[in-house]
Amino acid sequence: MGLAAADAAVTNNNDCGMTGKKPNTTAAALASATCALLGGISAEPVQAQEEKDWSFDTALLYYGESDSRVQDISLNVLAIRSFIDDRILSLSLGVDTLTGATPIGAAPFNGPQTFTSPSGAQVSTRSANEIPLDDTFLDTRVALAATWQQPLGRLNTVSAGVSISDEYDYLHLGANFKISWDFNKRNTTVSLGLAFANDEFDPVGGAPTPLTPMLDVGDVSNRNGDQSKNIVDLVLGVSQVINRNLLVQLNYSFSNADGYLNDPYKILSVVDSITGDPVARVPTPGIQGPSHEYLFESRPGERTKHSLFGQAKVYMNGRILDASYRYMTDDWDIDSHTIDLRYRWPLGDTRFIEPHVRFYTQTEADFYRTSIIGGTAFPTNASADYRLGNFDAITIGFKYGWKTEAGNQWNTRLEFYSADGSVPGNLLVGNQAGQEMYPDLDAIIFQLGYRFGK
Amino acid sequence: MKKVFCIFAALSIAGCSSLGVEPWERDVLAKEEMQLIADPLDVAIDEHIYFSKEASSGGRGFGGGGCGCN
Repeated sequence: MGLAAADAAVTNNNDCGMTGKKPNTTAAALASATCALLGGISAEPVQAQEEKDWSFDTALLYYGESDSRVQDISLNVLAIRSFIDDRILSLSLGVDTLTGATPIGAAPFNGPQTFTSPSGAQVSTRSANEIPLDDTFLDTRVALAATWQQPLGRLNTVSAGVSISDEYDYLHLGANFKISWDFNKRNTTVSLGLAFANDEFDPVGGAPTPLTPMLDVGDVSNRNGDQSKNIVDLVLGVSQVINRNLLVQLNYSFSNADGYLNDPYKILSVVDSITGDPVARVPTPGIQGPSHEYLFESRPGERTKHSLFGQAKVYMNGRILDASYRYMTDDWDIDSHTIDLRYRWPLGDTRFIEPHVRFYTQTEADFYRTSIIGGTAFPTNASADYRLGNFDAITIGFKYGWKTEAGNQWNTRLEFYSADGSVPGNLLVGNQAGQEMYPDLDAIIFQLGYRFGK
Repeated sequence: MKKVFCIFAALSIAGCSSLGVEPWERDVLAKEEMQLIADPLDVAIDEHIYFSKEASSGGRGFGGGGCGCN
């Protein structure tokens, strides 16, 4: 019990126990009833129960990809209000400003390529032997979330939260609920969480009909209005204290997304079955348009994912190892493995350094391909999005933190992320075998954080 | 058969309850840095980055998302 709580207890005595807590004895009940009759009810003691003030965790993030690809500057704030009796209100805010270029899915070849921009209002041309990027990418995202957590009885905890995020072309609304049960002297905790989301996509220029061609400037005949998807997530978890220095957790997660799962800005090249070069196209005379045939991507309308996640926290003479592993599999035929290791190493009483390494690997989706062969029947679904391809990634870096005299904490984090993909040989056609078909990615993550009010 | 199952169940419960600590042995586990999610803001930022760049998300908690980046 904190000082404020002790104050509240004192106030209880002075104020006839009318502070919202149930009287424990008949005498107390009688006393409080008497007080109520005498008009001794006051709102003040309720405030006196509040144990602590707000605490804040803030971070300014720079995420930058090499080759002028995506750059993100992001401000994040997590505000936590703790009340007496373990009731907690968490509020979070995130603001991202995104700029830069991103691969659009078209295959590189040894000639220049011209594309109509996502808005359908202009064209841009990319050099030969270059993975085509869209550099009209510009967005601001604002995300807000609120969660209320409180005990339910002596050994259960419940929480409920809502989230909203808004971008120029995207709106997310979500709600989540969680219940956890403690038992075995609170050494074992079982929890069940459920989350629901509804996301609306309103793409620049309208959502293109999947597997229809990229058209000339001003032709919006294959563009449609807003699209949406619903997502249901379920997480079942067990955490177990093994001994004084070891805590482990195991989670099973299920996720189902239903609706519009395409990226409306991603395309595929239609290529010659022998050379693998894109099939040339002539725009309508007097109007600018694509130089080759490109089709908008098409993904299935549903995706179901299953994950297993295990984590261990080990305390070793002041140093803490945080190790986790995740296996994910889905009905798009993507399997992934993630290993994450952090080692927190105190440097004296006020500073620490925490090296971090993360390994990730995934297989490609069953509809992932580099291009579509012209003159044949189109597949039902196809995407050249590099994020659905086969790749490995590594993150390596460290975090350094130091406490101020007032007990607040500054921290800084510097990490490098590198993703290296490979296209299965059977997906390469003709000259594609001599091209760099997968857009490898290198990024830097730099963060400056400040925690105060704890 | 029922007996064997009962004995097995009893033993597993006993095994489980022998894991863990007494309430007065929680000094280390109570440390902020020993919590399963010690840096919630870092976790949220990382999940947002990796959700945008990889085909997997979640596991630790809900699947993340809420952006048009994937």
